[in-house]
Amino acid sequence: MSNEVRLLRFLAQDMTQAELGKRVGLTRQTIAAIEQGRYSPSLDVAFRIAHVFGKRIDEVFHWQPGGAAGNDAVTTPAS
Amino acid sequence: MKFDLLNIVFETINLIGRIMSSLQKRAWLALWSMCPVYCVYFAIQIGFPDLLTTMLEHIGLFALTASIHAVAYVSGLLVIKRREAGEPLLEDERDRAIDARGTRVAYFVLLTCMIVVGVVMPFNNGGWKLVNTALLAIVLSETVRYALILIGYRGMRLAH
Repeated sequence: MSNEVRLLRFLAQDMTQAELGKRVGLTRQTIAAIEQGRYSPSLDVAFRIAHVFGKRIDEVFHWQPGGAAGNDAVTTPAS
Repeated sequence: MKFDLLNIVFETINLIGRIMSSLQKRAWLALWSMCPVYCVYFAIQIGFPDLLTTMLEHIGLFALTASIHAVAYVSGLLVIKRREAGEPLLEDERDRAIDARGTRVAYFVLLTCMIVVGVVMPFNNGGWKLVNTALLAIVLSETVRYALILIGYRGMRLAH
């Protein structure tokens, strides 16, 4: 899952990771992990992050088939 | 020069303190306070089996090991708590997910080791060999738990 959190922080008067973390109830380290794509947040947190930037969730987070979670891989049926 | 070196060391510790999360610092502390002490303990138990003959000597060595471990861990924890004083949030869902995964794997390590200690070993062994194997199982499972926590923070992809 990729996201636009870093870009949106930059557009929001260069909001710091710590500030965003404080507003959504996460640590600065977790915000950094989300930005780097090392952590996919819960739906609740994803909604809260989108809410902080005044965006819809799909404008902030983009799901890609075969992503990091391992359980979202698309399998093709054997022909 | 000496002052500069000290300054660099303190600055590095401060930087690491800012980068690491609370759970990560505790995991490093737990590993560093436990592994060296119990390595020495098991090295003595395995390498010099004739050194400890009486029950009191065995208990004494274990008491010394456990005390050093406890003092190192508690004093490190106090330093961490003091540095973290005033921080708004110390743990979130990612920390809990990383902790839960480490604990889950460590539980199965402990379960397997305890089956060996409690079900297999009593038929052939007894006394301090059983006690030390049980202790080794606990140290091993704790090491696995904290190692997995640290791996979880160092680039392992995670989804909630």
